[in-house]
Amino acid sequence: MIATVGVIGSGTMGGGIAQVAARAGLDVLLHDNVPAAVSAAVERMRADLRAGAGKGTISATEATQALARIHPCKSFKDLGAADIVIEAALEDLAVKRDIFQALDAIVAPSAILATNTSSLSITAIASLTKTPETVVGMHFFNPPTLMPLVEIVRGSRTSDATTLAVRDLALRLNKTPVVCKDTPGFIVNRVARPFYGEALRLLGEGVSTVEQIDAILTRTGGFRMGPFALMDLIGIDVNYAVSQSVYEQFFQEPRFRPHPIQRRMVEAGLLGRKTGKGFYTYK
Amino acid sequence: MTGRATSTRRIVTLAGDAILVAEFAAACQERGYTVECIAAAGGRGSRPRIPGLPKGARRVSRPSVRSSLAIELTNIDKDAKRRNLVLLDRTLRPGTLLLSSSVTVTVSEQSSWIKHPGRLAGIAALPGFLGGSFIECALSGLSGEGARQGAAAFAQSLGKEAAFVGDSVGMVLPRVVCCLANEAHFALMERIAAPEEIDTAMKLGTKYPFGPFEWARKIGYGQVYAVMHALHHSFGEDRYRPAPALRRAAEMEPLGDAKSV
Repeated sequence: MIATVGVIGSGTMGGGIAQVAARAGLDVLLHDNVPAAVSAAVERMRADLRAGAGKGTISATEATQALARIHPCKSFKDLGAADIVIEAALEDLAVKRDIFQALDAIVAPSAILATNTSSLSITAIASLTKTPETVVGMHFFNPPTLMPLVEIVRGSRTSDATTLAVRDLALRLNKTPVVCKDTPGFIVNRVARPFYGEALRLLGEGVSTVEQIDAILTRTGGFRMGPFALMDLIGIDVNYAVSQSVYEQFFQEPRFRPHPIQRRMVEAGLLGRKTGKGFYTYK
Repeated sequence: MTGRATSTRRIVTLAGDAILVAEFAAACQERGYTVECIAAAGGRGSRPRIPGLPKGARRVSRPSVRSSLAIELTNIDKDAKRRNLVLLDRTLRPGTLLLSSSVTVTVSEQSSWIKHPGRLAGIAALPGFLGGSFIECALSGLSGEGARQGAAAFAQSLGKEAAFVGDSVGMVLPRVVCCLANEAHFALMERIAAPEEIDTAMKLGTKYPFGPFEWARKIGYGQVYAVMHALHHSFGEDRYRPAPALRRAAEMEPLGDAKSV
């Protein structure tokens, strides 16, 4: 039974995962290369939990108890006490493989090593560890405190026991787990590609406009956001990088080919909300 | 005073895929149209059942010349669509508006089938798409201003807004939704996850209104396959190749809903 969760990375994803685990009654060992980032994450959690207590979604006592379960790590080795370590560092294969090799040397052989990657191969990350059967993907969605889905990604050598244990953990975190194979983009980032790709093609072919496509897809299709508004929110560079990654990992499968409009916008620095201008202009 | 009763209600003539005919019949009747559905053009006395056709919608063998407009709603069988359009064009008064589903055949191509292409406008008709705020419309280079105004007025009469888009197979919403469903079928073939898991992931991970399999079932696998097949044929690009699993699902679908009338 998993009682202690190690989390690597204290950004939006790592901090959010830590908060979710603490609220579920698990002890959390939180580590970041930058110690100040851990303090900042704990402050964000404190503010969020206080706000929750103010709104009545959590009691003041529960909020205090959840915060008390977050233990900032003084050193990387402290993660060795965890039953599972969830890595939420940079989305870079070399970085993640280094982390997993280092974890391999400090955790118990029975400990589970999970990565929160959204598009990198679990099998490749696991390949440098001594126990690839304990390595698994746990893809939380942003923000982890609100989004209910967790993709549980089985690498080529992930064991059934690891998969079941992680699935059980996701349920304890009040999440909805879906188990999937280790293929590019997993489920969501793969099946959603046409939402963006076809919208960009419709725009490029002059069939419709940004505003009209978004309006049709939301007000007739029932999508919560149109593809262009959503690309602006995600970041056009981030969306383009995912498209490119899936395209390359599928050996240039035409269904996943990124669109030149997106590349040109990235080149121009028009990245969406974060730069004030993307497909729409933001004040 | 006696005399033949006359009706000022607008008559709309419908033909095409049964599921769409039933859906449009219900929407039109609710908005005060008198609905007539023609049997398959060129058919010999057979009148396929139209599941869900509202009471009061009449089955007729030929379009009434008194029709205010006609709507051709075939997406699956191109030959049947052509026969229906030719019949409607030949029978209706030349100025009568002709709307036609244009998600699997462009308005331009359909225009070449009939003698009065000026009255023809395309609409994006797929099962379940009438519930939103817009009706996507498209025009060919031969469509007249009357067709544009007529399509807009029809949309308005159903309480919706016409969204005019370019004349391209799949139009906007059908193209995006059918490509999502197609990709989900490729994922299924690779055994990435079960259909229920894929549906759950797409609804919870992206907040889509329906999972791709759930949506394909609502639309009809045959309809989704027809759109993908038409996109593949129209663009000649492998990115639109229908997933074999989608084709199998379409082949196994009960014929009742998909059959043309």
